[in-house]
Amino acid sequence: MGFWEYLRSRRELLVFEAWQHASMVFQCVLLALVLGVLIGLLVYRSPRLSALATGASGVLFTVPSLALFGLLITPLGLGVAPSVTALVLYSLLPIVRNTVVGLSGVDRTLVDAARGLGMGRGRVLLRVELPLAWPVILTGARVATQLAMGIGAIAAYVSGPGLGEQIFSGLGRLGGANSVNMTLAGTLGIIVLALLFDACFLLLGRLTTPRGLRV
Amino acid sequence: MTAPPAAAEQSREALHAPTGRSWRSLLQPLLIVVAGVGWMVYVNNSGLDSIAQRVLTPGYVTRKTWEHVELTAMSTLLVLVIALPLGVLLSRRWARPATPVVLAVANIGQSAPAIGVVVLLAVVWGIGFWTAVVALVAYGVLPALRNTMVGLQQVDPTLRDAGRGIGMSALTVLRRVELPLAAPVILAGVRTTLVLMVGTASIAAFINGGGLGELVTTGVTTQRTPVLLTGCFLIALLALLIDWLGGVAARLLAPKGL
Repeated sequence: MGFWEYLRSRRELLVFEAWQHASMVFQCVLLALVLGVLIGLLVYRSPRLSALATGASGVLFTVPSLALFGLLITPLGLGVAPSVTALVLYSLLPIVRNTVVGLSGVDRTLVDAARGLGMGRGRVLLRVELPLAWPVILTGARVATQLAMGIGAIAAYVSGPGLGEQIFSGLGRLGGANSVNMTLAGTLGIIVLALLFDACFLLLGRLTTPRGLRV
Repeated sequence: MTAPPAAAEQSREALHAPTGRSWRSLLQPLLIVVAGVGWMVYVNNSGLDSIAQRVLTPGYVTRKTWEHVELTAMSTLLVLVIALPLGVLLSRRWARPATPVVLAVANIGQSAPAIGVVVLLAVVWGIGFWTAVVALVAYGVLPALRNTMVGLQQVDPTLRDAGRGIGMSALTVLRRVELPLAAPVILAGVRTTLVLMVGTASIAAFINGGGLGELVTTGVTTQRTPVLLTGCFLIALLALLIDWLGGVAARLLAPKGL
Protein backbone atom coordinates (compact mmCIF):
# COMPACT_ATOMS: atom_id res chain seq x y z
CA MET A 1 0.00 0.00 0.00
CA GLY A 2 1.35 3.42 -0.91
CA PHE A 3 1.70 6.14 1.70
CA TRP A 4 -1.19 8.23 0.37
CA GLU A 5 -3.41 5.20 0.16
CA TYR A 6 -2.52 4.38 3.77
CA LEU A 7 -3.32 7.90 4.89
CA ARG A 8 -6.66 7.78 3.10
CA SER A 9 -7.68 4.39 4.46
CA ARG A 10 -6.76 5.27 8.07
CA ARG A 11 -7.91 8.85 7.92
CA GLU A 12 -10.24 8.68 10.88
CA LEU A 13 -7.78 6.95 13.19
CA LEU A 14 -4.96 9.31 12.20
CA VAL A 15 -7.07 12.41 12.72
CA PHE A 16 -8.17 11.08 16.10
CA GLU A 17 -4.61 10.33 17.20
CA ALA A 18 -3.34 13.67 15.92
CA TRP A 19 -6.13 15.40 17.83
CA GLN A 20 -5.24 13.46 20.99
CA HIS A 21 -1.58 14.35 20.57
CA ALA A 22 -2.30 18.04 20.03
CA SER A 23 -4.74 18.21 22.90
CA MET A 24 -2.36 16.39 25.26
CA VAL A 25 0.50 18.74 24.41
CA PHE A 26 -1.74 21.80 24.63
CA GLN A 27 -3.17 20.90 28.02
CA CYS A 28 0.19 19.90 29.46
CA VAL A 29 1.91 23.09 28.30
CA LEU A 30 -1.01 25.19 29.55
CA LEU A 31 -0.82 23.54 32.96
CA ALA A 32 2.96 23.93 32.95
CA LEU A 33 2.59 27.59 31.98
CA VAL A 34 0.31 28.29 34.96
CA LEU A 35 2.48 26.32 37.38
CA GLY A 36 5.74 27.61 35.92
CA VAL A 37 4.74 31.27 36.09
CA LEU A 38 3.53 30.76 39.68
CA ILE A 39 6.83 29.14 40.64
CA GLY A 40 8.71 31.89 38.84
CA LEU A 41 6.73 34.54 40.72
CA LEU A 42 7.48 32.87 44.03
CA VAL A 43 11.24 32.64 43.52
CA TYR A 44 12.32 35.54 41.32
CA ARG A 45 12.85 38.03 44.13
CA SER A 46 15.39 35.89 45.90
CA PRO A 47 18.60 35.14 43.99
CA ARG A 48 19.19 32.00 46.03
CA LEU A 49 15.73 30.55 45.35
CA SER A 50 16.01 31.50 41.68
CA ALA A 51 19.33 29.68 41.42
CA LEU A 52 17.79 26.67 43.15
CA ALA A 53 14.79 26.60 40.83
CA THR A 54 16.81 26.96 37.64
CA GLY A 55 19.47 24.52 38.89
CA ALA A 56 16.87 21.90 39.73
CA SER A 57 15.24 22.35 36.31
CA GLY A 58 18.66 21.95 34.70
CA VAL A 59 19.26 18.63 36.44
CA LEU A 60 15.77 17.35 35.62
CA PHE A 61 16.18 18.44 32.03
CA THR A 62 19.30 16.34 31.68
CA VAL A 63 17.39 13.20 32.67
CA PRO A 64 16.38 11.43 29.42
CA SER A 65 12.68 11.12 28.76
CA LEU A 66 12.61 7.32 28.54
CA ALA A 67 14.11 7.15 32.04
CA LEU A 68 11.54 9.57 33.42
CA PHE A 69 8.64 7.68 31.82
CA GLY A 70 10.01 4.42 33.23
CA LEU A 71 10.40 5.88 36.71
CA LEU A 72 6.81 7.14 36.59
CA ILE A 73 5.37 3.73 35.67
CA THR A 74 6.04 2.43 39.17
CA PRO A 75 3.95 4.96 41.12
CA LEU A 76 1.44 5.91 38.41
CA GLY A 77 0.94 2.80 36.30
CA LEU A 78 0.44 2.93 32.54
CA GLY A 79 -1.67 5.29 30.43
CA VAL A 80 -2.52 8.95 30.66
CA ALA A 81 -1.21 9.64 34.17
CA PRO A 82 2.54 9.05 33.59
CA SER A 83 2.38 10.67 30.14
CA VAL A 84 0.82 13.87 31.43
CA THR A 85 3.08 14.02 34.48
CA ALA A 86 6.23 13.62 32.40
CA LEU A 87 5.12 16.15 29.80
CA VAL A 88 4.20 18.73 32.43
CA LEU A 89 7.53 18.22 34.20
CA TYR A 90 9.55 18.66 31.01
CA SER A 91 7.47 21.65 29.93
CA LEU A 92 7.91 23.31 33.33
CA LEU A 93 11.65 23.60 32.93
CA PRO A 94 11.97 26.15 30.12
CA ILE A 95 8.94 28.05 31.43
CA VAL A 96 10.23 28.43 35.01
CA ARG A 97 13.62 29.41 33.70
CA ASN A 98 12.30 32.00 31.28
CA THR A 99 9.86 33.41 33.85
CA VAL A 100 12.71 33.98 36.29
CA VAL A 101 14.95 35.44 33.58
CA GLY A 102 12.14 37.61 32.21
CA LEU A 103 11.01 38.97 35.57
CA SER A 104 14.48 39.68 36.86
CA GLY A 105 15.31 41.37 33.57
CA VAL A 106 12.68 44.06 34.17
CA ASP A 107 14.35 47.43 34.72
CA ARG A 108 14.20 48.28 38.44
CA THR A 109 13.75 51.96 37.68
CA LEU A 110 10.45 51.14 35.95
CA VAL A 111 9.24 49.30 39.05
CA ASP A 112 10.30 52.26 41.20
CA ALA A 113 8.50 54.62 38.87
CA ALA A 114 5.33 52.55 39.09
CA ARG A 115 5.59 52.47 42.87
CA GLY A 116 6.12 56.22 42.82
CA LEU A 117 2.91 56.63 40.84
CA GLY A 118 1.16 55.01 43.78
CA MET A 119 0.66 51.49 42.43
CA GLY A 120 0.58 48.65 44.95
CA ARG A 121 2.79 45.57 44.77
CA GLY A 122 0.15 43.50 42.98
CA ARG A 123 -0.63 46.19 40.46
CA VAL A 124 3.05 46.72 39.69
CA LEU A 125 3.32 43.00 39.01
CA LEU A 126 0.22 42.86 36.82
CA ARG A 127 0.63 46.16 34.97
CA VAL A 128 4.41 46.51 34.70
CA GLU A 129 6.48 43.43 35.46
CA LEU A 130 4.45 40.64 33.88
CA PRO A 131 3.71 42.52 30.62
CA LEU A 132 7.40 43.36 30.25
CA ALA A 133 8.49 39.78 30.95
CA TRP A 134 5.73 38.25 28.82
CA PRO A 135 7.65 37.85 25.52
CA VAL A 136 10.39 35.92 27.33
CA ILE A 137 7.84 33.75 29.17
CA LEU A 138 6.07 33.05 25.89
CA THR A 139 9.36 31.98 24.31
CA GLY A 140 9.77 29.53 27.19
CA ALA A 141 6.32 28.11 26.47
CA ARG A 142 7.24 27.80 22.81
CA VAL A 143 10.37 25.80 23.57
CA ALA A 144 8.32 23.70 25.99
CA THR A 145 5.75 22.95 23.28
CA GLN A 146 8.43 21.77 20.86
CA LEU A 147 9.90 19.53 23.54
CA ALA A 148 6.51 18.16 24.55
CA MET A 149 5.65 17.30 20.94
CA GLY A 150 8.66 15.03 20.58
CA ILE A 151 8.54 13.57 24.08
CA GLY A 152 4.81 12.99 23.68
CA ALA A 153 5.66 10.43 21.00
CA ILE A 154 7.53 8.33 23.57
CA ALA A 155 4.47 8.49 25.81
CA ALA A 156 2.94 5.79 23.63
CA TYR A 157 5.46 3.39 25.17
CA VAL A 158 3.70 3.77 28.52
CA SER A 159 0.34 3.42 26.69
CA GLY A 160 -0.15 7.16 26.53
CA PRO A 161 -2.35 8.76 23.86
CA GLY A 162 -1.26 10.34 20.60
CA LEU A 163 0.59 9.82 17.35
CA GLY A 164 3.36 7.88 19.07
CA GLU A 165 1.05 4.87 18.78
CA GLN A 166 1.60 4.89 15.01
CA ILE A 167 5.36 4.85 15.49
CA PHE A 168 5.27 2.02 18.01
CA SER A 169 2.81 0.00 15.89
CA GLY A 170 5.22 0.42 12.99
CA LEU A 171 8.03 -0.83 15.20
CA GLY A 172 5.91 -3.78 16.32
CA ARG A 173 5.26 -4.80 12.72
CA LEU A 174 8.90 -4.39 11.70
CA GLY A 175 9.32 -5.77 8.18
CA GLY A 176 5.59 -6.32 7.79
CA ALA A 177 3.19 -4.53 5.50
CA ASN A 178 2.49 -0.91 6.45
CA SER A 179 5.27 -0.64 9.03
CA VAL A 180 6.97 2.10 7.02
CA ASN A 181 3.65 3.83 6.41
CA MET A 182 2.72 3.80 10.08
CA THR A 183 6.07 5.12 11.27
CA LEU A 184 6.13 7.75 8.56
CA ALA A 185 2.58 8.84 9.33
CA GLY A 186 3.35 9.20 13.04
CA THR A 187 6.62 11.05 12.50
CA LEU A 188 5.36 13.40 9.80
CA GLY A 189 2.17 14.01 11.73
CA ILE A 190 4.12 15.17 14.75
CA ILE A 191 6.33 17.42 12.60
CA VAL A 192 3.25 19.03 11.06
CA LEU A 193 1.64 19.51 14.48
CA ALA A 194 4.85 21.01 15.86
CA LEU A 195 5.08 23.48 12.99
CA LEU A 196 1.40 24.41 13.37
CA PHE A 197 1.84 25.04 17.08
CA ASP A 198 4.96 27.08 16.39
CA ALA A 199 3.02 29.23 13.94
CA CYS A 200 0.31 29.73 16.57
CA PHE A 201 2.97 30.88 19.03
CA LEU A 202 4.27 33.43 16.53
CA LEU A 203 0.74 34.73 16.11
CA LEU A 204 0.04 34.68 19.84
CA GLY A 205 3.29 36.51 20.49
CA ARG A 206 2.34 39.21 18.02
CA LEU A 207 -1.16 39.58 19.47
CA THR A 208 -0.25 39.56 23.16
CA THR A 209 2.99 41.53 23.22
CA PRO A 210 2.30 44.97 24.69
CA ARG A 211 2.26 47.55 21.91
CA GLY A 212 5.24 49.47 23.24
CA LEU A 213 7.46 46.38 23.17
CA ARG A 214 6.85 45.49 19.55
CA VAL A 215 9.78 45.95 17.27
CA MET B 1 9.65 29.60 8.57
CA THR B 2 11.96 32.14 10.11
CA ALA B 3 14.57 31.39 12.74
CA PRO B 4 13.15 31.58 16.26
CA PRO B 5 14.33 34.47 18.43
CA ALA B 6 17.74 34.17 19.99
CA ALA B 7 16.21 33.86 23.45
CA ALA B 8 14.77 30.49 22.49
CA GLU B 9 18.20 29.18 21.57
CA GLN B 10 19.79 30.49 24.68
CA SER B 11 17.15 29.10 26.96
CA ARG B 12 17.69 25.70 25.42
CA GLU B 13 21.44 25.81 25.96
CA ALA B 14 21.19 27.39 29.34
CA LEU B 15 18.85 24.74 30.66
CA HIS B 16 21.80 22.55 31.46
CA ALA B 17 23.08 23.01 34.94
CA PRO B 18 26.13 25.21 35.12
CA THR B 19 29.31 23.58 36.35
CA GLY B 20 30.87 25.44 39.25
CA ARG B 21 34.55 26.16 39.57
CA SER B 22 34.88 25.13 43.20
CA TRP B 23 35.50 21.74 44.81
CA ARG B 24 31.82 21.09 44.35
CA SER B 25 32.40 20.37 40.67
CA LEU B 26 34.39 17.30 41.70
CA LEU B 27 31.83 16.31 44.30
CA GLN B 28 29.13 15.96 41.66
CA PRO B 29 30.66 13.11 39.59
CA LEU B 30 31.72 11.39 42.79
CA LEU B 31 28.14 11.52 44.10
CA ILE B 32 26.84 10.19 40.80
CA VAL B 33 29.20 7.19 40.81
CA VAL B 34 28.47 6.49 44.48
CA ALA B 35 24.73 6.66 43.80
CA GLY B 36 25.04 4.23 40.88
CA VAL B 37 27.18 1.71 42.74
CA GLY B 38 25.06 2.08 45.88
CA TRP B 39 21.89 1.39 43.88
CA MET B 40 23.39 -1.75 42.34
CA VAL B 41 24.43 -3.06 45.75
CA TYR B 42 21.01 -2.23 47.21
CA VAL B 43 19.03 -3.79 44.37
CA ASN B 44 21.12 -6.98 44.36
CA ASN B 45 20.42 -7.43 48.08
CA SER B 46 16.71 -6.71 47.89
CA GLY B 47 15.54 -10.26 47.29
CA LEU B 48 15.35 -10.44 43.50
CA ASP B 49 13.65 -13.35 41.78
CA SER B 50 15.59 -15.44 39.28
CA ILE B 51 14.56 -13.44 36.18
CA ALA B 52 15.60 -10.12 37.65
CA GLN B 53 18.76 -11.65 39.05
CA ARG B 54 19.84 -12.91 35.66
CA VAL B 55 19.59 -9.40 34.18
CA LEU B 56 21.00 -7.43 37.06
CA THR B 57 24.42 -9.07 37.31
CA PRO B 58 27.29 -6.56 37.54
CA GLY B 59 28.76 -7.93 34.30
CA TYR B 60 25.58 -7.42 32.25
CA VAL B 61 24.84 -3.99 33.65
CA THR B 62 28.43 -2.86 33.07
CA ARG B 63 28.26 -4.12 29.49
CA LYS B 64 25.02 -2.24 28.83
CA THR B 65 26.46 0.92 30.39
CA TRP B 66 29.54 0.60 28.20
CA GLU B 67 27.33 0.09 25.10
CA HIS B 68 25.45 3.23 26.04
CA VAL B 69 28.72 5.17 26.33
CA GLU B 70 29.84 3.75 22.97
CA LEU B 71 26.60 4.79 21.28
CA THR B 72 26.85 8.27 22.79
CA ALA B 73 30.54 8.75 21.99
CA MET B 74 30.34 7.39 18.46
CA SER B 75 27.28 9.43 17.51
CA THR B 76 28.57 12.62 19.13
CA LEU B 77 31.88 12.22 17.32
CA LEU B 78 30.16 11.71 13.97
CA VAL B 79 27.82 14.64 14.60
CA LEU B 80 30.78 16.90 15.27
CA VAL B 81 32.78 15.62 12.30
CA ILE B 82 29.83 16.47 10.05
CA ALA B 83 28.43 19.57 11.70
CA LEU B 84 31.56 21.57 12.55
CA PRO B 85 33.17 21.75 9.07
CA LEU B 86 29.79 22.18 7.44
CA GLY B 87 28.92 24.98 9.87
CA VAL B 88 32.23 26.73 9.11
CA LEU B 89 31.69 26.37 5.36
CA LEU B 90 28.13 27.68 5.56
CA SER B 91 29.18 30.73 7.54
CA ARG B 92 31.65 31.90 4.84
CA ARG B 93 30.62 35.01 3.03
CA TRP B 94 29.91 33.28 -0.29
CA ALA B 95 27.54 30.86 1.44
CA ARG B 96 25.57 33.52 3.30
CA PRO B 97 22.52 33.36 0.99
CA ALA B 98 22.09 29.69 1.96
CA THR B 99 22.00 30.44 5.70
CA PRO B 100 18.26 31.09 6.11
CA VAL B 101 17.47 27.95 4.11
CA VAL B 102 19.72 25.78 6.28
CA LEU B 103 18.34 27.33 9.48
CA ALA B 104 14.77 26.73 8.32
CA VAL B 105 15.54 23.09 7.49
CA ALA B 106 17.25 22.74 10.87
CA ASN B 107 14.15 24.08 12.60
CA ILE B 108 11.83 21.71 10.81
CA GLY B 109 14.21 18.83 11.48
CA GLN B 110 14.25 19.69 15.15
CA SER B 111 10.52 19.19 15.45
CA ALA B 112 10.91 15.60 14.28
CA PRO B 113 10.42 13.29 17.27
CA ALA B 114 13.56 11.31 18.13
CA ILE B 115 11.67 8.05 18.45
CA GLY B 116 10.18 8.57 14.99
CA VAL B 117 13.60 9.06 13.38
CA VAL B 118 15.03 6.01 15.15
CA VAL B 119 12.14 3.69 14.30
CA LEU B 120 11.87 4.96 10.73
CA LEU B 121 15.50 4.11 10.04
CA ALA B 122 15.09 0.70 11.65
CA VAL B 123 12.01 -0.05 9.58
CA VAL B 124 13.75 0.97 6.38
CA TRP B 125 17.21 -0.37 7.14
CA GLY B 126 16.97 -3.13 9.70
CA ILE B 127 17.82 -3.09 13.37
CA GLY B 128 21.17 -2.98 15.16
CA PHE B 129 23.96 -0.84 16.60
CA TRP B 130 24.90 0.97 13.41
CA THR B 131 21.31 1.83 12.50
CA ALA B 132 21.02 3.33 15.96
CA VAL B 133 24.19 5.35 15.43
CA VAL B 134 22.99 6.64 12.05
CA ALA B 135 19.62 7.57 13.55
CA LEU B 136 21.28 9.39 16.43
CA VAL B 137 23.54 11.27 14.03
CA ALA B 138 20.60 12.19 11.80
CA TYR B 139 18.80 13.51 14.86
CA GLY B 140 21.74 15.41 16.33
CA VAL B 141 23.40 16.93 13.29
CA LEU B 142 20.95 19.77 12.64
CA PRO B 143 21.04 21.39 16.10
CA ALA B 144 24.84 21.12 16.18
CA LEU B 145 25.09 22.62 12.70
CA ARG B 146 22.83 25.50 13.62
CA ASN B 147 24.77 26.10 16.79
CA THR B 148 28.11 26.31 14.94
CA MET B 149 26.63 28.77 12.45
CA VAL B 150 25.10 30.93 15.17
CA GLY B 151 28.37 30.89 17.09
CA LEU B 152 30.37 32.07 14.10
CA GLN B 153 27.75 34.63 13.11
CA GLN B 154 27.84 36.42 16.43
CA VAL B 155 31.55 37.20 16.06
CA ASP B 156 31.91 40.95 15.72
CA PRO B 157 32.51 41.66 12.00
CA THR B 158 34.80 44.57 12.85
CA LEU B 159 37.21 42.09 14.47
CA ARG B 160 37.18 40.05 11.28
CA ASP B 161 37.92 43.19 9.28
CA ALA B 162 40.66 44.14 11.71
CA GLY B 163 42.24 40.71 11.20
CA ARG B 164 42.15 41.17 7.46
CA GLY B 165 43.49 44.69 7.89
CA ILE B 166 46.64 43.57 9.67
CA GLY B 167 47.38 41.28 6.77
CA MET B 168 45.91 37.92 7.84
CA SER B 169 44.57 35.66 5.11
CA ALA B 170 40.92 34.61 5.26
CA LEU B 171 42.01 31.22 6.59
CA THR B 172 44.18 32.74 9.31
CA VAL B 173 41.32 35.03 10.36
CA LEU B 174 39.12 31.97 10.67
CA ARG B 175 41.73 30.09 12.68
CA ARG B 176 43.04 32.90 14.87
CA VAL B 177 40.01 35.19 15.28
CA GLU B 178 36.66 33.67 14.40
CA LEU B 179 36.98 30.14 15.80
CA PRO B 180 38.47 31.20 19.16
CA LEU B 181 35.77 33.84 19.60
CA ALA B 182 33.02 31.42 18.65
CA ALA B 183 34.48 28.65 20.81
CA PRO B 184 32.28 29.17 23.91
CA VAL B 185 29.07 28.93 21.90
CA ILE B 186 30.34 25.98 19.87
CA LEU B 187 31.52 24.15 22.99
CA ALA B 188 28.19 24.76 24.73
CA GLY B 189 26.64 23.19 21.65
CA VAL B 190 28.94 20.17 21.94
CA ARG B 191 27.73 19.71 25.50
CA THR B 192 24.11 19.98 24.37
CA THR B 193 24.80 17.40 21.68
CA LEU B 194 26.33 15.03 24.24
CA VAL B 195 23.30 15.26 26.50
CA LEU B 196 20.91 14.91 23.55
CA MET B 197 22.79 11.80 22.42
CA VAL B 198 22.77 10.14 25.86
CA GLY B 199 19.04 10.59 26.07
CA THR B 200 18.32 9.45 22.54
CA ALA B 201 20.70 6.51 22.89
CA SER B 202 18.33 5.07 25.49
CA ILE B 203 15.76 4.80 22.69
CA ALA B 204 18.20 2.67 20.71
CA ALA B 205 17.07 -0.31 22.81
CA PHE B 206 13.81 -0.33 20.84
CA ILE B 207 15.73 -1.23 17.70
CA ASN B 208 18.26 -3.61 19.29
CA GLY B 209 20.96 -0.98 19.37
CA GLY B 210 22.05 -1.93 22.88
CA GLY B 211 22.59 0.42 25.78
CA LEU B 212 20.88 0.91 29.12
CA GLY B 213 17.50 1.35 27.47
CA GLU B 214 17.48 -2.44 27.19
CA LEU B 215 17.10 -2.69 30.97
CA VAL B 216 14.03 -0.47 30.68
CA THR B 217 12.42 -2.52 27.91
CA THR B 218 13.34 -5.81 29.62
CA GLY B 219 11.88 -4.48 32.85
CA VAL B 220 8.62 -3.56 31.15
CA THR B 221 8.22 -6.77 29.11
CA THR B 222 9.10 -9.10 31.99
CA GLN B 223 7.21 -6.89 34.47
CA ARG B 224 10.18 -6.70 36.81
CA THR B 225 10.13 -3.30 38.49
CA PRO B 226 13.69 -3.53 39.91
CA VAL B 227 15.08 -4.04 36.39
CA LEU B 228 13.03 -1.13 35.05
CA LEU B 229 14.07 1.15 37.89
CA THR B 230 17.73 0.20 37.55
CA GLY B 231 17.64 1.04 33.85
CA CYS B 232 15.96 4.41 34.40
CA PHE B 233 18.15 5.30 37.33
CA LEU B 234 21.41 4.43 35.56
CA ILE B 235 20.38 6.28 32.39
CA ALA B 236 19.63 9.38 34.44
CA LEU B 237 22.95 9.13 36.31
CA LEU B 238 24.92 8.55 33.11
CA ALA B 239 23.27 11.59 31.54
CA LEU B 240 24.19 13.75 34.53
CA LEU B 241 27.76 12.43 34.47
CA ILE B 242 28.18 13.11 30.78
CA ASP B 243 26.66 16.57 31.16
CA TRP B 244 29.26 17.24 33.84
CA LEU B 245 32.04 15.97 31.56
CA GLY B 246 30.76 18.23 28.79
CA GLY B 247 30.81 21.18 31.16
CA VAL B 248 34.38 20.45 32.25
CA ALA B 249 35.51 19.98 28.65
CA ALA B 250 33.87 23.26 27.63
CA ARG B 251 35.69 25.07 30.42
CA LEU B 252 39.09 23.52 29.73
CA LEU B 253 38.92 23.94 25.95
CA ALA B 254 37.59 27.51 25.92
CA PRO B 255 40.28 30.01 24.99
CA LYS B 256 41.62 31.99 27.94
CA GLY B 257 40.64 35.62 28.23
CA LEU B 258 37.04 35.30 27.12
